[in-house]
Amino acid sequence: MPQYRITMENRTSRLAFIGEGGDLFVILLVNWLLTVITLGIYYPWAKARRLQYFYEHTELDGHPFHFHGTGREMFKGFIKAVGLFLAVYGIYFLLIMVRMPVLAIIFLLGALIGLVPLVLHGTYRYRLGRSSWRAIHFGYRGELRELFRICLRDGALTLITFGIYGAWLQMHLRNYILGHVRLGSSRFSYKGDGMDYFLLNLKGYLLTLITLGIYAFWWQRDLFNYYVDNLRWEFDEGKRVEFRSTATGGDFFGLIVGNLLLVLFTLGIGLAWAHVRTMRFISGHISFVGETDLDRLVQTELEHKNATADELGDLLDIGIFI
Amino acid sequence: MTTEAEAVLYDGRTSRPIDAVVRIREQGVLEVDADGERFLWPLEDKDLQWERSRALLRLSFGHHPRKVLIVREAAFIRSFADHVQRAGRRGVYDRVLSLARGGPLLFFLGTVVVLVLGYLYAIPWGAEHLTLLLPRSLDTRSGNAVYDVMSDELDLDSARSTALQRFGDQLQLSPHYTLQYHVVHDDQVNAFALPGGHIVVFTGILDKLERPEELAALLAHEATHVEDRHSMRMLVRQASSYVFLSLLLGDVNGVVAVVAQNADNIRNLSYSRDLESKADLEGMQHLVANGVDPHGMVDLLKLLREEASDVPQGVSFLSSHPLTAQRIADAEREAGTMEVPTSGYRDLDDVFGAVRSLP
Repeated sequence: MPQYRITMENRTSRLAFIGEGGDLFVILLVNWLLTVITLGIYYPWAKARRLQYFYEHTELDGHPFHFHGTGREMFKGFIKAVGLFLAVYGIYFLLIMVRMPVLAIIFLLGALIGLVPLVLHGTYRYRLGRSSWRAIHFGYRGELRELFRICLRDGALTLITFGIYGAWLQMHLRNYILGHVRLGSSRFSYKGDGMDYFLLNLKGYLLTLITLGIYAFWWQRDLFNYYVDNLRWEFDEGKRVEFRSTATGGDFFGLIVGNLLLVLFTLGIGLAWAHVRTMRFISGHISFVGETDLDRLVQTELEHKNATADELGDLLDIGIFI
Repeated sequence: MTTEAEAVLYDGRTSRPIDAVVRIREQGVLEVDADGERFLWPLEDKDLQWERSRALLRLSFGHHPRKVLIVREAAFIRSFADHVQRAGRRGVYDRVLSLARGGPLLFFLGTVVVLVLGYLYAIPWGAEHLTLLLPRSLDTRSGNAVYDVMSDELDLDSARSTALQRFGDQLQLSPHYTLQYHVVHDDQVNAFALPGGHIVVFTGILDKLERPEELAALLAHEATHVEDRHSMRMLVRQASSYVFLSLLLGDVNGVVAVVAQNADNIRNLSYSRDLESKADLEGMQHLVANGVDPHGMVDLLKLLREEASDVPQGVSFLSSHPLTAQRIADAEREAGTMEVPTSGYRDLDDVFGAVRSLP
């Protein structure tokens, strides 16, 4: 039986995106048509198809990932999310109608802020629970209560400090969420520091101003590197794999400017190719350091089919990429 | 036809890849041999799922944790697709997808044409019919709500309002709604109708009128907007166009935002050109039905055309800027075909005098 080993010597990327722009274009096109002619009802199915394409064509060590989510379960989630959304706005308008505008605004703000940890929690549970590699499922084991605590405490501090504490908020969320991601019997962890992240952003901001925007590509590289380099993949018996970014500012310049031109000069038709370039860029610039045996992962996670939070995140436009 | 291929099986317990051989049997059954074990997966079984591209076929079977089989032989993947079709498991999506793969460029152009036609024709048509499904009481309620908010900002003239109400009550202009007339002190040459029956006339326009027929024409025009629910139509049309565009741009949160955003739109609504013309022509029919000379509408439009050059903004009566010669010509032609009533105007003249002469 062949042993799949990741070793120090092998520092090339083990991740690969093998999708083609033309294939993705056709899928997005069909999704687009079906979504519009069904007046949006097809949206959850379209989303499932899109995610499936991306997962199916991303390979780790030559083995594809897989997204198990179906249009049907995402549709159920979509309906529930719309219901929840309308309920919140219904109560808001009710309070306006009985002439309690202050209470209405407090309620709306409270509800929207309260929904953020809910969306994060539910989306991670759903997305990861429905993702697998070599038939071993990912999973998210974080607790909603803890996310609420972080959002409430750090959110308040961010308000008081006029946004400065946002860097710490983001790192605390990332540490907590990524620290509770699993792939079967293996775990992930993230070691982000609020001060480092704040200084990184401060430097990026100031240099971007001074260089009239040119430094933005290097700022982007720093953000990407900070994400990748602080991520760890931990296995039984103390083994672990670290991730290393190999992206440079010049690479980011090529990616972003290239994508921009690609989309602009094709009036949006090139979007599929831009997606493919981005996926290739990300997978091609992450390398692995460490040693482990990827054949020995054991299935540990349960199935999670509730897509409500995932859809709610779409409705409220909350990005889950923390 | 290749019906056998090498594959990799994952049993769902560990991540260890297991070398396997997969075959398609005549009865539409997949046979998988791996590690000395044999699994049989019938193609019709709904538990069997797959995703297929040209280079990769991924099958999964059973309940969580599912077994997964990966095949990378293109010839086998093609023959698998044929068998699936024969087993009757090819949905709408697969059909559309293979159509699109056949000629992506042509499919793209076809899609664009379908969507543009949909936007231009299907959306207004659908909106029209959707409006008919909405209860008329909705017009009244929303119109009242908007009027309640607006009336604080309007400088109402209650004496002239009463007179105008008496004038309007002599005409039967709207069978479905109770029309309430309001005169407002304002120099703008303006009048507008809210859904459900509130009609607001500014003194700026009232003082320009010379004959009761012109006033009757103005009220008939506005009453047609009310009776034919033009506000609701425009609102539904705007909302559905917005939803459609949001869908085109893949902007889901935009779709839902429509629900929240349209509350105050009634005030800023302008009617489309065809609805304005409709209000002219149907208003004239109402005039005839009430025994009033329909030329009042022609005179009114001519009178307002002169005003339009002075006051380009805020003339909602003329909301389809500019007040085209076309609209006047249409009204003139229509009046020519109509029988001009010969009976008297009852006491419209007297009441018109009351509306005009009050300070």
